[in-house]
Formats: sequence, C-alpha cells, structure tokens
Amino acid sequence: MTINEFQEKLLAEAMDAGFTESEVYYQRSESLQLMIFEGEIDSYETSENGGIGLRGLYNGKMGYAYTEKIEQASIRFLIDSAKANADVLDEDDGTDIFEGSEKYAGHDFYSEELANVPIPEKIELIKLIEKKTLAYDPRIITLDYCVLQDYSEDRVIANNKGLSLKEKMNGLVIYISVVVKEGEEMKTGTYVKMTRDFGALDADTIAKEVAEEALSNLGEQSIPTKKYPVIMRYDASASLLATFTPIFSAENTQKDQSLLKGKVGEKIAANVFTLLDDPFHPDAMAGSNFDGEGVASEKRIIISNGTLETLLHNRKTAKKDGVETTGHAHKSSYKSTLTVAPMNMYIAAGTKSKEDLIASLEEGVLITGLSGLHSGASTISGDFSVAATGFHIKNGKIVSAVKQMTIAGNFFDYMKDIKETGSDLEFMPGGYGSPSLLVKELSVTVD
Amino acid sequence: MIKHSIIENVLEAALSTGGDFSEVFIEDKYVNTMELQSGKIEKSISGRDFGIGIRIFSGLQCIYTYTTDFSEAGLINAAKRAALAIKGGGNGTIHPIQKEIIQPIHTIAQMPRTVEHARKVAVMRKANDIAKNYDERIKQVGLRYIDEEQNVLIANSEGKFVEDTRVYSRLSIQATASDGIEMQTGFYGPGAHAGFEFIENLDLNHYAGEAARIAVTMLEADECPSGKFPVIIDNEFGGVIFHEACGHGLEATAVAKNNSVFANRIGERVAPDIVTYIDDGTLPNEWGSLNVDDEGEKTRKNILIEDGILKGYLIDKFNARRMNAEATGSSRRQSYRFNPTSRMTNTYIAPGKSTPEEIIASTEHGIYAKYMGGGQVNPATGDYNFAVAEAYLVKDGKIDRPVRGATLIGNGANTLQLVDMVGNNLAHGAGMCGSISGSLPVNVGQPMLRISEITVGGTKGE
Repeated sequence: MTINEFQEKLLAEAMDAGFTESEVYYQRSESLQLMIFEGEIDSYETSENGGIGLRGLYNGKMGYAYTEKIEQASIRFLIDSAKANADVLDEDDGTDIFEGSEKYAGHDFYSEELANVPIPEKIELIKLIEKKTLAYDPRIITLDYCVLQDYSEDRVIANNKGLSLKEKMNGLVIYISVVVKEGEEMKTGTYVKMTRDFGALDADTIAKEVAEEALSNLGEQSIPTKKYPVIMRYDASASLLATFTPIFSAENTQKDQSLLKGKVGEKIAANVFTLLDDPFHPDAMAGSNFDGEGVASEKRIIISNGTLETLLHNRKTAKKDGVETTGHAHKSSYKSTLTVAPMNMYIAAGTKSKEDLIASLEEGVLITGLSGLHSGASTISGDFSVAATGFHIKNGKIVSAVKQMTIAGNFFDYMKDIKETGSDLEFMPGGYGSPSLLVKELSVTVD
Repeated sequence: MIKHSIIENVLEAALSTGGDFSEVFIEDKYVNTMELQSGKIEKSISGRDFGIGIRIFSGLQCIYTYTTDFSEAGLINAAKRAALAIKGGGNGTIHPIQKEIIQPIHTIAQMPRTVEHARKVAVMRKANDIAKNYDERIKQVGLRYIDEEQNVLIANSEGKFVEDTRVYSRLSIQATASDGIEMQTGFYGPGAHAGFEFIENLDLNHYAGEAARIAVTMLEADECPSGKFPVIIDNEFGGVIFHEACGHGLEATAVAKNNSVFANRIGERVAPDIVTYIDDGTLPNEWGSLNVDDEGEKTRKNILIEDGILKGYLIDKFNARRMNAEATGSSRRQSYRFNPTSRMTNTYIAPGKSTPEEIIASTEHGIYAKYMGGGQVNPATGDYNFAVAEAYLVKDGKIDRPVRGATLIGNGANTLQLVDMVGNNLAHGAGMCGSISGSLPVNVGQPMLRISEITVGGTKGE
C-alpha cells in the first residue's frame, strides 16, 4: 500500500469508526552519517524510514496513536488504540483539529544543491578535515569524533477539515571532537556546524577552529572559588537558553510548572535582553512554514527590552488563556502528542564584540561550554549548578584556561543580571541562538 | 516476523561486495505512554515502532543501514546499497541460520499490552494522591507511566538466529513543592524489565512519598557551600557517580580507540582494594537486564574492577575486532535506528563491610548526597559532573541541615582512587543512559560510599 492510499483510507475509516474529527501526520526521512577514524571510514550509516500518527476527536476527547508499519492491519491498530487513549483521558483537552491559516509564508527549507552533492565529495571533505586537524599541532593526539551527517525530511499534515500541508527540508551537520595532550594534561575541544551550504564548508577553517578550541583549553589554572562577573560565550549562552525554554511555554504556566505564570506585560529581564522566535531566520536550521497543528508560523518577540510580551502558545493553551495562538504547537515527530516549543529562539544581538566585552572586565570568567544541563538545571525553580569550561580574565585579558569548574545561579535572576549583549549572534543546531552575554555575577567553584 | 529465506537473502546481499560479516536486526515494538498532571490523565499515546537494521563489517569498517520497508525487494536493495560503501576485499560466507532457543531469565507475568488502560490509570491516581496529600506545600504532581514490548529478531552471517521479547515497565513521579515564592521538585522513577506485575506491586507509599518528601525538604534547604569536601553518597541510584566516572570509560566504544583513561591498563590497580565494580545483564528482571544483547549474545556478569584491579571492559562485536578481544554480551542500541555498540546494563559497586551508621559517624565535616540527579562524563578525559537531588551537610558525624544546588565535579580515575569506605547495603536504581547508540534503560547501583574528597559546586561560596 502506498502512503497516500494508507493516509486516505485511515482518515475515512477513522470517521466511520466514530471520530468526529481526525488528522494524520506523516514523516519520511533519509540520512547518511560518516564517521572517520585515522583516514578511513570507521562507520557508514544510511537510513530511510518514516511513520504516521493519527489524532482524532472521539467522544469529545483527543486520542493519539502511531505506527511505523505501513500495512492494512495498522489501520485497525491506529483506530482502536487512538479510541482507547481518548477514552482514558479525564476531559476534553480543549483542542480540535485546525482547518488551516489563511496564508503561509512559503519559505524554502530545502536546498537542491545540497541534495545533489555526491557522497564521495562528502567523504573527501570529512577525511580532509581529520587530516588537517591532526596535522595542525603535535599536541593533537586523536579525533574521538569526526562525523558528517546529512538528512532530508518530508512531512505532511492532512485532516478531515480540508487542511493539507507539505514541507520538505534538508541539512548537513559536521561534528568534530579533538583530544589534545601536553604532559599529563588532556583536554578536548569540539566543533559543530549545521548548514545547507556545502560550498561554505572549508576544511582549513574548520581544522583551525576545532584545534585552537582544544589547544586553548591546555595550561589550566585553578582560581579562587567565589562570585565572578561572567561572559557567557554565544554557544554556552544558547545552550543555557535552550535548557530554560520550558519556562516560556504557556502549557507549563497553566500547569503551575513555570514561575512566569501571570507575568506577561511585566519586566522580567534586563533592558538589553530581547528574545525572539523567528522560523525564517537565514542562519538557523530549525524553521518551518507551519507549526505542529498547521498554524502558519511567524516571527515573534517574546521579551522586548526586558518585558515579557507573550508566552508561547498552541491553540489549546491559547484558548485557555483567552488569547490567539502564537503558532508554537510542537510535534517532535509522528510519535508525539502536541506540546509547546519555539522554532528558532534567539537573544537579539547588541553592538560590542566578544573582545570588547572581555576588555571591559577587570576580573571575570569567560564560559565557553556547559555540561550536565539535563540534570543540573531545574526549569521549575530556575536554579542551575552545572559543570563549565572556560577562561580566567584579568585586566581585560584572558590569562589562562580554568580547571574544571561549576557555575551556579538562578535563571530568573540571570535574565535580570545581563549587563551587555555582544554582536556575535550564532545559532546552534537545535535552533537556539545567542550572542555572547556579559552577566553581573555567578558563583564559580573550581576544582 | 519475516521469513527465514528472506533473511538469508538479505544477509547474502549485504556481503555481495566483499564484506566479511553481515547481520539483520528486526524490531517490532509496542509502546504505551500516559501522563497525569494536576490529578488528570492528560496524555495517552500508543504506538508501534517497526524497522530493520542491516550491518556489514569489512575489516575495521562498519556499514549500517536501516529502513522501515519490509518487502523482500526493499530489504535486498537496502542491503546492496549499503554494501556499495565497501571497496573489494573480504571473503564473506553465509552459514545457514540456526535458531537458538533462549531460556528467558527474566520472566514476565503480565504482558502490559493485555492490561486495560483503566488498571494502569488506577495505579497512577493512587500514586498521585499519596504525593499530593504528603504535605500542603505539594502544589503539583506529575506522573508518567510507560510500558514497552520490544520484539527483536537478530540473525547474522555466522548462522546466529535469536528471537527475544523485552518488556519494560516504569512509573516516574515528580512532585513540585512551593511556599508561594520558590518552587522545588522531587523525583523518583522505579522501573523494571518486567510486566505490569511490577507496577501493581510497587510500594507507592514509599516511591510517591519520597518524591514529595524530597520536594518539600529542598524547599527548606539552604544554599550548598562550595569547596572540596568528603562526600558520602547513599546507595541505590547513588551509583550513577561510577556509571559516569568510570563506567563509560570502560566501554569499548572509548577503549578501542584509546579514547579512555582506562585503555591498555588491564591488570593495573585503578582503585583501592575495597572497590569491586561489576556489570551484570543477568540480574532477574532488573531495568538494565537482557536475555541477549542486541547482537544476540547472551548477557553475563562482567567483573570490570576486582579488589581495585582493572579486570575487563564492556566489548561489542565490532570493537572486539579493533581490540583483538572477545565480545562480552554488552552490545546495545536504543532501536533499529542505531548502530549497536558496547554499553552498560546493570552496573554496580559490590557491597563492602561498613555499615551506613559507621560511615556517617566517622565523617567530621562533609556532604551527604542522599539522592543523585543525573550526570555526564567526557570519556576521553574522564572529567565528570553530576547533580545532587537531595543533599545534607554532615557535621561531627551527624547528618545536619539539607542543602540544595550541589553539583559534584571531578575526574573519574581520580575519584575512584579516593573511595575510602564502602557500605554493606547494596541496592540498584533505574535510569536512562544516553550515548552514541541512543538512550537505554540501565541500572546503577552501589552500597553507601564515602569519597575522601570531591569538588562540590554550590551557590553559597566557601
């Protein structure tokens, strides 16, 4: 059975089986992943797969089910499972199937040019990156990861209210991790880049960047444990923002899981802090013309000069709060129910370069990486206490790498404590972007 | 799931360009997830994951492909396309596949798919009520129930043919406490490689009560001081420290390429002689247990560190080639979407002789970490970090005030050397472990341990 036949049959049979409204969500993706080790292809992975999710209103409640096995018998499985799941819900979750927006932006997230790059060219590039990185400095002992991955994806939303949306996207990711050693000291440095422009990837530049990143971490020194002014480099800042995104979700304020409940219109951050979500930002990769329930996406200001302008909504949360949806219904795949999440959320850039920010500090710490965010940060309390890598700044200059450290603070205070935003806005693969930020102070504990 | 003749044809197509080993992994999995928030069942979703992974080795090259197309032509095409990545060499031969009958160690009494939703919901409501009624400051309770029935078929060109069914059941409880200004959470997530009997027999008063108690306790906690302290880590999920600090560094994924501080050190002393570290996939019905690993090898008890001496690694079939060693039944993957590699199952520190009372009484000034959160490690350097979910100060051999925001950082190889007391109360805790072959159920375990010094990061300063 083709997917189109399956889809049509599923919608028709769902309506016959007692659903009053129904929708299918289909995704199909292809990917290639190459891992290089010592000049050879260590692993070569390809895939093509897909699945389909059904959601439907049954006795006024929204039931969900999905399958990756596209065969006749799955239609029954989906309908019976979605019904049983609807039955067990406590109440109508306030949502219905959407008939569609008036207009969609029609932005293109697919590059034919990238799709046409032959595999041998990709192999050559990633091998060259390994070679150039290894040759960059004798202290580079190995690359523990040297990976190129590309992917493409088709998605379809179709429902009984006449909505039928399609989108195609692709992208390529390079991920490199380098191990450097000097004496007994061992450090790593990583590089990650996501792009649709294969031609812009230059092996020399990438090798230099990852090598310098790793080498700069050598020569670590301990510094006293205390509160320091902190510069969060763009990538560390973006990862912290990504971790705390759930606080901006109306779904979470409605469940008393976010301290931003009732704060729309209030000042919650420093004047220099402006937060946006732009599904069409040219430097970001995670955009889309429509959200998980088919609402046309658009650029939104979340925080404007410190004032919370809106929370992120899908149609259900918007209805509950008596506002319009912001187009942030999120369906991470056909396996998921709808939640709320941004597409390309980023902190607006300021005017000063990272170097200017460093030069402005008498003493402080530049943070270049955070780890343990999944466990050391609570989106409910806002507290975070996580491991970090970075550098000690004195008299406006970087003096040394800092031994393993932790930084601790509270994200709600942190937003208020931002003194300056840099000009170096960058997007990370997950769709989060930030410039480097100068923050009043954080607790820094050093090994 | 699929005819033997088709499997043999796919294995053969995979070797058509000269690969020396081929394997087929077929997965058919049923999943049910339910969520309860604010006393209401808000989410319930069921699904079926189905796909086929084909793996080919050619010397030290590994090709992996997966697809959801289960037609014979589709599979043969996928195998042939993958084989194109191999350039000549090899002399792959196919041995006729022979079904191996697995005697399951992990018996399942009630297949979750046969249990109606209402019974699952009843348990969730009961757990919700216990947590909610624990204290008036408990404002919110979130529960997540999940069951999975994963049917796998693994066959390879060496003639292996194994089928297995893995059943997982888990109930996670998160309680949020608030005093009107601040919010704190507590979490407990018991899980097992077992059927619904595990969920129905859970001591909900204990698990839901503890989640609520942690949230309320943390609301009353002071900020954690920073600095270097002796740290007592309680049993059960406390074992996550050694999962991060040395478990990952003992996986062949890191060892085979010398990207681990433990590489090439078999026979060396890596810990005091009170430390024995074991990975055991055979513990009956434990969350990280398996009858066979994802290459079809029987799981076993692997002693990694014995009385402080490094004895072995966790090795999968592919890395075994680079290491010139035998696989240890440790190859795992989240699903057909992942190329398998060496991973932990149920990893734990063996019990010692000290009683928990002795350990606390002999600590003058330090931190007692009662419940751990998760953590992370850089296997190349061994630098780890993790969060403490519930911590206390220890003063003059007694447990003092609760403190919050404690993060432990250090280096695995060093921390291992600093274990100076090992308790006699071994217990296991369930967690999810994320790494290159996906997110997997693992148990971490230990008795209460004391480490003479760990760097503790907190907000309070020294």
